[in-house]
Amino acid sequence: MTISAIALVGNPNVGKSVLFHRLTGAYVNVSNYPGTTVEVARATARFDATVDLVDTPGVLTLPARSDDERATMRALLHEPLRAVIQVGDAKNLRRTLTLTALLAELGVPAVLALNMHDEAGARGVTVDAQALSSALGIPVVPTVATGGEGIAQLTRSLADARALLPLLHYDTDTEAAITDLASRITQHAPHPRLNARGLAILYLGQDSEVEAWLSEAAGENMANIVSARAAAQAKGVMPAALAHERGEAASTLTSRVTARTEQASPLLAHRIGQLIIHRFWAWPILLGVLFALYEFVGVFGAGTLVGLMENELFGKILNPAVTAFVREHIGVVWVADLLVGEYGLWTMGMTYALALILPIVTTFFIIFGLLEDSGYFARLSVLANRLFKLIGLNGRAVLPMVLGLGCVTMATLTTRILHSPRERLITIFLMALAIPCSAQLGVVLGLLGGISFTATLIWVVSMVGVLMLAGFLAAKLIPGRRIPLVTEMPPIRLPLFGNVAKKTVGRIKWYLIEVIPLFLLGTFIMFLLNQFGALPAIIRAGEPLVSGWLGLPPEASAAFVMGFLRRDFGATGLFALSHQLSAIQAVVGMVTLTLFVPCIASVMMIVKEQGAKVAAAMIAFIIPFAFLIGGLLNHLLRAVWA
Amino acid sequence: MSTHDHNARVPLAFLLPGARARVDALDDAIDPTQREQIIAYGLAPGRPVIVLQQHPMTLVMIDEVELALEDSVARLVWVIRK
Repeated sequence: MTISAIALVGNPNVGKSVLFHRLTGAYVNVSNYPGTTVEVARATARFDATVDLVDTPGVLTLPARSDDERATMRALLHEPLRAVIQVGDAKNLRRTLTLTALLAELGVPAVLALNMHDEAGARGVTVDAQALSSALGIPVVPTVATGGEGIAQLTRSLADARALLPLLHYDTDTEAAITDLASRITQHAPHPRLNARGLAILYLGQDSEVEAWLSEAAGENMANIVSARAAAQAKGVMPAALAHERGEAASTLTSRVTARTEQASPLLAHRIGQLIIHRFWAWPILLGVLFALYEFVGVFGAGTLVGLMENELFGKILNPAVTAFVREHIGVVWVADLLVGEYGLWTMGMTYALALILPIVTTFFIIFGLLEDSGYFARLSVLANRLFKLIGLNGRAVLPMVLGLGCVTMATLTTRILHSPRERLITIFLMALAIPCSAQLGVVLGLLGGISFTATLIWVVSMVGVLMLAGFLAAKLIPGRRIPLVTEMPPIRLPLFGNVAKKTVGRIKWYLIEVIPLFLLGTFIMFLLNQFGALPAIIRAGEPLVSGWLGLPPEASAAFVMGFLRRDFGATGLFALSHQLSAIQAVVGMVTLTLFVPCIASVMMIVKEQGAKVAAAMIAFIIPFAFLIGGLLNHLLRAVWA
Repeated sequence: MSTHDHNARVPLAFLLPGARARVDALDDAIDPTQREQIIAYGLAPGRPVIVLQQHPMTLVMIDEVELALEDSVARLVWVIRK
């Protein structure tokens, strides 16, 4: 059985991943936010078990410039492609066809799914699919992927996939340069599936993936290809001009096949979209969203649900039952202690993970999913842009930062939506330092909220202050330029229940797989330390720092040991001490722990994304810095707030 | 291009909400990669735009696309008022 592949390619936020789900049954994260797909996903097609369907990140421009565009280009170069399904946004045909013009040059068999044609209709835009199909020479199928409309027809049309008709010819000089390059590529580095002409155009446009592929395939003959490009550039053949000509050709074809009727009044979605970033109304709306977030996650999730799970379900029913069962059936005392003792795998590890953390992350991810799918986050980046300018970032970083409030590990991966390595480095650093994940946030708010509103406020102000200060310094120290924000506003949509539910379940699964082993490991280490009497030694060793400098009770050292595994685990340890903490001690302890190293999982993610060196440097900075800030805060608060 | 008619050429950032214009040129001071992206978004020379708002960022409509641009970029997009 030979496996061949069909790739879904298209501009960002046109519905490739929804279509992927429809065609394979496999779910990948889908959001109303450009750049959700950061890696190529693959699954077996429902309609043919010998075909792998490949979902690629959206491309704004080809030749590839960003990481996700490079990932898509790699898929085109390396996958055993039988065909490509180009997914296009029917209401934005010009951009769709600009990409089509390039796919045509590559000569890969294609069909075009004209997605979201319902949204186009609502805006008075109709596309003549028949006329477009004969102009392109391939099947064109209108679809509404979210509603499953047109999917069967799209699947059938794959049998008729064929190479696209060319959309344009470039000017004489450019054509000569392309022909020359293409013949050299044919001679020295022929591609098994893609036309030399298309590769020549991409190489002229300085696509780094195509360049890498060619130099691998051509070996020492690459010099021959390089010199041809240099000669073309010397004659004034510029990549920007090529892109411009593709845009013009797309524009001409778009006006030929599109009809527009003037809308009497702007759509409700448009009006809401503009209110969200209105110079005045934006702020009450933002406050409303934050309030809803607080009510649902803080009050309902961290309060009501945690109360039910922790006190009622685990405290009164599960834990007594499990404890009785274990004590009765396991004769060896230390084994029983390991399971259900003070530092028991079940009574501490599983109880924390399921009763305390699960309700909080679940409610957080539900709200996050709703905001993502509504189109709110893209607009939030517009609102946050001015603030983020101060820390060398642009508003796009708001999405990973807010997601970090759910799970920093997941958010570290999501920084791939950012366009420059510098932005990614700063964002990852700031999240590792000062963004508490939802589990920790729940514990912090539980402890400090119980003391006073002032205590909570001091914690919030300290964290925001540190975030801004560290960001400001990082932006000054890390070389490179800040990139101003230019971003598309996706349409405001009513989130679909099914999609939000699937996304939430996927994220919770991800989170639990990450969190439970660490909680168990952490509990086990605490158990060992306790069993062998090492805790008192650690407490003594940490005393000068913890009691002297931070002004905390000596037992708080244990919380910092736990904090090495997960910050929230440490915070929970501090929570257990809360009856012996003063307000100042609670605030200082929580601020230090929040800044303190992020959990092991997120450190590993930083290693994966940025390398071990960068991760080590971050940790080497963060640990002393956390104690420095904690100590300063301790002395400041004692002077002014006692 | 209307190089002789400098009065008509203004930065996109200076237009009031509701104004209609045609893109004339993107200034060379825009970062080359960002320039390619802006053109790919549809804000390309010759294309019509409608300004929707200017605060907190410049928001324009091109066909059915709403595009937000930071002021520093919107000042470098030259348009001709309709």
